[in-house]
Amino acid sequence: MECIITIELGTNAVRVFAFDLKSNIIGSMKGSYPTFHTEPDYSEQDPEQIFITMLYVLKNFLTEKIHSKKYKVRSICFSASMHSVLAIDKKGVPLGNAITWADNRGKKEAQELKKHPLGKILYTATGTPIHPMSPLVRIAWIKDHDAQKFKASDKFVAIKTYIIQQLTGEYVLDYSLASATGLMNIHNLKWENDALYFAGITAGRLPDLVPVFYSAGKLRKEYQTSLGLSASTKIITGSSDGCLATLGAGVWGKGKAVITIEDSGAVRVAGKQVLQDEKQRFFNYLLTEKFYVSGGPTNNGGIIFDWFTKQFGDFKNRFDIEFCMEDLIHEASKIHAGSDGLLFLPYLLGERAPIWNANARGVYFGVNIKHERSHFIRATIEGILYEIYSIGKTLQEHRTINSLSINGSFASIPFCSQMIADIFNKPVNLRKNSDSIGLGAFLLCATDMGIYKTLEEAAQTVTLPDSYKPQKADHEMYMKYFPVFEKLSTKLSDEFGEIAGLQK
Amino acid sequence: MNQFFLQQGRSGELQLFPHIVEFALKKNYSIQLNSLPPAATESIRIYCITEGKFEWAIQDRHFTLYPGDITMILPGQKFGGSRGFLDIGTLSWIHLQVEKFDPLSKTLLFGKWSSLSKTESFTIAKILMMDHAPFLLRLSEAENILLDIKHEILNQEIGYATRANHLIDELFILLTRQLTRQNNPGRDFPQTFMKLEQTLRKNLNHQWTVEEMAALVGLGTTAFNERVKKYTGFSPLNYLINIRISEAIKMLKRENCNVTEIALETGFYSSQHFSTTFKKLTGYTPSEFRKKNILND
Repeated sequence: MECIITIELGTNAVRVFAFDLKSNIIGSMKGSYPTFHTEPDYSEQDPEQIFITMLYVLKNFLTEKIHSKKYKVRSICFSASMHSVLAIDKKGVPLGNAITWADNRGKKEAQELKKHPLGKILYTATGTPIHPMSPLVRIAWIKDHDAQKFKASDKFVAIKTYIIQQLTGEYVLDYSLASATGLMNIHNLKWENDALYFAGITAGRLPDLVPVFYSAGKLRKEYQTSLGLSASTKIITGSSDGCLATLGAGVWGKGKAVITIEDSGAVRVAGKQVLQDEKQRFFNYLLTEKFYVSGGPTNNGGIIFDWFTKQFGDFKNRFDIEFCMEDLIHEASKIHAGSDGLLFLPYLLGERAPIWNANARGVYFGVNIKHERSHFIRATIEGILYEIYSIGKTLQEHRTINSLSINGSFASIPFCSQMIADIFNKPVNLRKNSDSIGLGAFLLCATDMGIYKTLEEAAQTVTLPDSYKPQKADHEMYMKYFPVFEKLSTKLSDEFGEIAGLQK
Repeated sequence: MNQFFLQQGRSGELQLFPHIVEFALKKNYSIQLNSLPPAATESIRIYCITEGKFEWAIQDRHFTLYPGDITMILPGQKFGGSRGFLDIGTLSWIHLQVEKFDPLSKTLLFGKWSSLSKTESFTIAKILMMDHAPFLLRLSEAENILLDIKHEILNQEIGYATRANHLIDELFILLTRQLTRQNNPGRDFPQTFMKLEQTLRKNLNHQWTVEEMAALVGLGTTAFNERVKKYTGFSPLNYLINIRISEAIKMLKRENCNVTEIALETGFYSSQHFSTTFKKLTGYTPSEFRKKNILND
């Protein structure tokens, strides 16, 4: 029997999935790697450890779940977190660690560029919001602050580029991941000259741009041997986590949106047109040459409820956060929608869409003497989801959304899924125990193999039942409070700036 | 609770306990100037407060101790009353001579009297010396242990030497456990694991055991194994191999040292062990891997 393997190079871990050709999951395995914060704004990962972890997990997975069951691997498809930057020298050896999406070292550069007219030109051309997350800003930062490294580096690549190069010898980057670098023109699919100029590099210092279906050469002999794979196993470049999660949720074309909430979160729509937003609030990334995934990201997803649990949860066993969270959610479920007037702004980590204010901070608002601990629990969850709704609401200024697909560990908690349906007043569907990114990568491979004629056809095979229906009374209650939430989020802008200044 | 004062060389009761330098319980009724000037010694000093309030300076940092508090001063650390004298109140202390103490390599050997295994005392030393900073613990059991030690030493019933030494071991074990719990409330596993990761990287050539790693985060081995597996996808020892090979790869690519040096530096038993593990995973021997990366030039 034949199978397809997908490899997701995620924020904290690599996840490997195997699918049979009918899209059933054969098995999965994960392996985590650390993120280093050597300075307050820094967030780095070791490319060698990511490679070794990937190799280790893949090898164990193949041995335990694939070879032992006589599956033949047809192709391997990659997905990766967006925005990573790794400098490598002439020999292809990494110059230190890779910079991840969460790194904020370029915040000053990003702020200046955003105010400059060039900022808007670059946003329109590249689809990537001007933000420290963008590799455009990072490379410029290295040029200005680490001249030695800038000079020593032959290329600036994505982590995925490096991993695929280690396996096959080719330096490639798919249009999809490239469209999140802030360096590629999403309209003509070439490295954008103005962006290259700002970063201080030529196109020769970036990987070659290829379609998401591109097959990046053969697996090196040594890895064929150690992994037990044949030379005919196709290595497919694939796309980014965000774009594949959208495809894997079956969101293609009108009326649908996908909400992903892990530690951070995003609300996305997909279509053939770029979403033009005057206020530059949304990203426009490419899934394929003609298809855009647009939306807004939030910093403050499940990580905020993690924070709350760690501070205020009742730990019965050391480190048993799962149990503790279940307890809190049980408590929250006893409080009415709207938390009897207690509001929470979840901006502990500053915020991206839709307010794009790095200085924003958390606020509990409207506390009165009758509020109890359980109100705070519920208000915290409601605040995280009001923020998601505020992205969705802004998106609806441009697109009609009739139904929502959700994924990610936080959004899939039944209590949260129902609350999303209620706040949005739209039916919500999700696939239980599934990974949308892996499924998206599978659909890509399957289309490449001719199982589906187009990605659109592939996306349409993803049908999810409406798992949660909106409850009218709760929706109405949430809509009484949401305007206050929305007003506070912008009204406090000055005070956010002041307090953030004092917290430095 | 009666006062007592035993001192090595002067008190015959300590004849069988050459490692106990001083052991006492004192009820201090009056302040005597200069009764506790700041000083460093070669022994480990453990103080336990029963009554009163004590103002102390440890390594030039000011601490206030209340009943139930316990503090430990490592060899070479400066300790004394904040105002140079011993405050009014009741306290007990024990001063112990250790066989070896090296703050740089974080080695601490208790000596033959202790029945702690080599691994156990390695881990205890790591934890006690982790941040170099002096610490204060809430540990009410400590007072009772000290009283039991006193009881054994003074009554000299059959087996008293063994029992007293066991109790000193127990004191160190409880101190260590309490210190990990106090430093880490056990809420944030990712952060705790990150700290452990850093410690492993700094001591990559040490032959880590799961027991040692578990102790550093304040968990038993079973719970530790489960947590690590859930969080990282690997068993603790396999995770460690991950770090070892990743570090080895960097050295193979960047540095001129030979493969044996890299093997030992990154914690493999031998170059053979390194080569086998490396090849199994990557398909290359370390030398082939290095050659490939230089040939790419």
